[in-house]
Amino acid sequence: MTSPTDQELIERWRHEPAPLLPLLHAFHDRDGYLSDEALRAVARGLKIPLAELFGDVTFYHHFERDPSRTNAPRVCTGPVCRYQGGPEILAALEKDGATPMPCAGRCDDPVPVLRGGHALAGTAADSLRAHLSPLPPPNPGSHEECVFSAIREPGRARLDGYRRTGGYEALTKAVTELQPADLIHLVTENGLAGRGGAGFPTGTKWQAVADAAAHPKTVVCNADEGEPGCFKDRAILCHDPHAVLEGMTLAAYATGATRGFVYLRYEYPEAFRVLQHAIHEAEQAGLLGGSILGTDFAFHVHLRRGAGAYICGEEGSLLNSLEGKHPFPRNRPPFPVTHGYENLPTVVNNVETLAAAVQLIRRGGKWYRNLGMNGHAGTKVISLSGDIRRPGNYEVPIGLPLKTLLYEWAGGPFEGREIQAVTMAGLSGGFLAADDLEVTLDEPGIRAKGSFLGAGGIMVFDSTRDMIAVAHEAMSFFAHESCGKCFPCRIGTQRLTERLAGEAGPTELSAWIDEVSDLGETMKAVSACGLGLAAPLITESLLKYFPERVAQHVQA
Amino acid sequence: MIATEKDLKTHTMMLDGEAVSFTEGETIYEVAQRVKTDIPTLCYDQRLEAFGGCRLCVVEVEGQRLPVASCTTKATPGMVVRTSTATLEKHRKTLLEMVASENREIDVDPLRGYAAQELATLVDRYDARGGRFRGKRSGATREDDDNPFILRDYDLCISCYRCVRVCAEQEGDHAISVMNRGFETQITVEFEGLLKDSACTFCGQCVQTCPTGALADKKALRFAELPGAIEKTRTICAYCGVGCSVDVLTKGDTMVGIQPAMDGPANHGALCVKGQFAYDFVQHPDRLKTPLVRGDDGKLHEADWDTALDRAAEGLRRVVDQHGRHAVYAVASGRAPSEAAYAVQKLMRAGWGTNHIDNCSRA
Repeated sequence: MTSPTDQELIERWRHEPAPLLPLLHAFHDRDGYLSDEALRAVARGLKIPLAELFGDVTFYHHFERDPSRTNAPRVCTGPVCRYQGGPEILAALEKDGATPMPCAGRCDDPVPVLRGGHALAGTAADSLRAHLSPLPPPNPGSHEECVFSAIREPGRARLDGYRRTGGYEALTKAVTELQPADLIHLVTENGLAGRGGAGFPTGTKWQAVADAAAHPKTVVCNADEGEPGCFKDRAILCHDPHAVLEGMTLAAYATGATRGFVYLRYEYPEAFRVLQHAIHEAEQAGLLGGSILGTDFAFHVHLRRGAGAYICGEEGSLLNSLEGKHPFPRNRPPFPVTHGYENLPTVVNNVETLAAAVQLIRRGGKWYRNLGMNGHAGTKVISLSGDIRRPGNYEVPIGLPLKTLLYEWAGGPFEGREIQAVTMAGLSGGFLAADDLEVTLDEPGIRAKGSFLGAGGIMVFDSTRDMIAVAHEAMSFFAHESCGKCFPCRIGTQRLTERLAGEAGPTELSAWIDEVSDLGETMKAVSACGLGLAAPLITESLLKYFPERVAQHVQA
Repeated sequence: MIATEKDLKTHTMMLDGEAVSFTEGETIYEVAQRVKTDIPTLCYDQRLEAFGGCRLCVVEVEGQRLPVASCTTKATPGMVVRTSTATLEKHRKTLLEMVASENREIDVDPLRGYAAQELATLVDRYDARGGRFRGKRSGATREDDDNPFILRDYDLCISCYRCVRVCAEQEGDHAISVMNRGFETQITVEFEGLLKDSACTFCGQCVQTCPTGALADKKALRFAELPGAIEKTRTICAYCGVGCSVDVLTKGDTMVGIQPAMDGPANHGALCVKGQFAYDFVQHPDRLKTPLVRGDDGKLHEADWDTALDRAAEGLRRVVDQHGRHAVYAVASGRAPSEAAYAVQKLMRAGWGTNHIDNCSRA
């Protein structure tokens, strides 16, 4: 097979919606890197100023520009993998030009290594192999599940298996029996809230898009799961892809959207292939496309991949990235519900939210609402990893005590060790430790401790871990992923990282604490997006729970 | 566009305890500017789309949990805004201390550019020279770029993106862009090249909007060591018919630079490479200050205007007598005013009887 010419690649994509990322990936796949000539061709083909395109490409850390490094491995050295063999694998693959990458979302099955468009995993360089990422472990509680209720059914990832287990019943019911307004009412009344971290009421969002006057409208599935310690969307995408597509189609029906995008993180190549196949199957079966279930309801879904940038999980950055612009967050308001993709009304929903909406609509609002505990509605998938016996994705009723999850469901710490701290919201919620581990897994409960549940990633660090090193690793991640748009985040994450590394900053304890607290307070108050607002929770919680360790670190 | 009734609709909001009216669409920052409430900022340039990057302009809005950037937040009826509380002032000081910590130096020669003193002024206003937050510096100066006009001293860059935005939004060149991200952010051009190999037209607008002097006027900096205060004289660029307003910078009798007038009605702070940088002829030793007429010795000699004009008239007359009225041709200078251009065409049409007349601005 001869490889396609520049012109063939450009012709393949230039008339598609959101063409820049897939076109760059096409050149990257063909050549193994992005040459100057490729960028010139893309700039001409898509009429993008060359300087801007060059700058945009440098923003994404998986786009290789060096021809001597084609197919060089990327090894995860995230907060979990750094203790599970990541650094050793990196050293062993150094001869192949391996470089570290931030958390690649496989903390329940470490260590992921990306090579030539494939994801491998293993805990040593000689045991790396490609295998499908793990299913959620069987639910140890007696609580009913929502998004995982059928994910373990054999064949669920294929259309026939999905339909056999209740798939597309919700869509059929919606399209044949319900008006869009009924759908929105159902979702609004029963407390479904965004599961990507922000917790915004899903029905309110759908209503705003339905009410917006401009057309065409868009549904974006945010599958850019970049938060360290979060891998729940990966499980859903790989094992239950039609649930995501059905959820998107329901959102489209509710809001009047005619086009959809799945924005998938680069680090999930197997999910890309699974989704690609699922979209094809759904189109063939008349469940997506021009005439859904034989009606005049039309909705087309396009699959797009990121290229390595945590900030693209922030919805404004994601939309800019889709549009081929520099992926800085957007100023809000206006919000995407009125000014989203191409400045038109857009629903941006997380993978888990969409999958939950399907079950809510299929099984009814009352059923959904009653899944939670202590008056909270619904469930939340928690990605649990780190120093714990049984890591994995657990779907918990909202309101479950954290310790029940840690000790009863996941088996507690390893023999002879104790849980020293856990992270919340991946890394964004900082640490909880000591008495604050007595908390229930719901937003009000966790916010009362100064943290938040967010996307539901919890990483466990036992008594053998140095919390200064853990905090430093966390802050380096935020510094690495800061987009550079706003001053407090761009400079603050760097300065906090330097102070945790002991590379800069006062050597006198109170001056050190003053600097770190002042940086954090300003970041928490005035940063332009969630990254900068959340990053200082790391240092804040470190100072709160581990003051003696901080004192040792500063005075060393 | 003619304003409609809707455009002119005014509302009221509270700004630092005063009721102020505003027009729909105005941002809090614009309202504050209009009523002379000074809110600090480093990424704002009124000609550009508000960016919201420096966060210095944050204000408290009642009912909002966190401060909002006043430059990107639209005023709404009944909004209650505080622009200068102790908490806000502390955040501003911290932000300025952070920015000061990433740069090689804060104090720069005012000849660097129109806005070059903005950072130093704010750092002084907020007493932010304490040297806190020391650490790695950001940005890397491009000493290899030996173009004669623009100094790329990125050691002083604070990533406000005013240069990137002015290049795209005002000049339409899209020559400047941003590479990498976070603290590794670097202002650059295509493939990290030299300005001369990029889409840059050397209009100098990036220089004039830069708030730290990271982008600087190399030609003006030739006079940095010249003693004397800088005086600014408002005039009109002499190059073409657009009529851009400029400030000529002088030290004593020496012209040391040109800066565009931000309030110039024709240019709003824009210039082209000629208006911005091509002024050396003014003080050049080779500049002609009297007419020259060629003598019998074949060399040029200084002469008075009558002599020179007589000589020119004789020459033209000789050509017309020998070859006819269409053998002469005039090109009026684009630098001459309309009245002079009119006189030249009158001379050609009415005087010589030819329509061989043109103007270099047409080219």
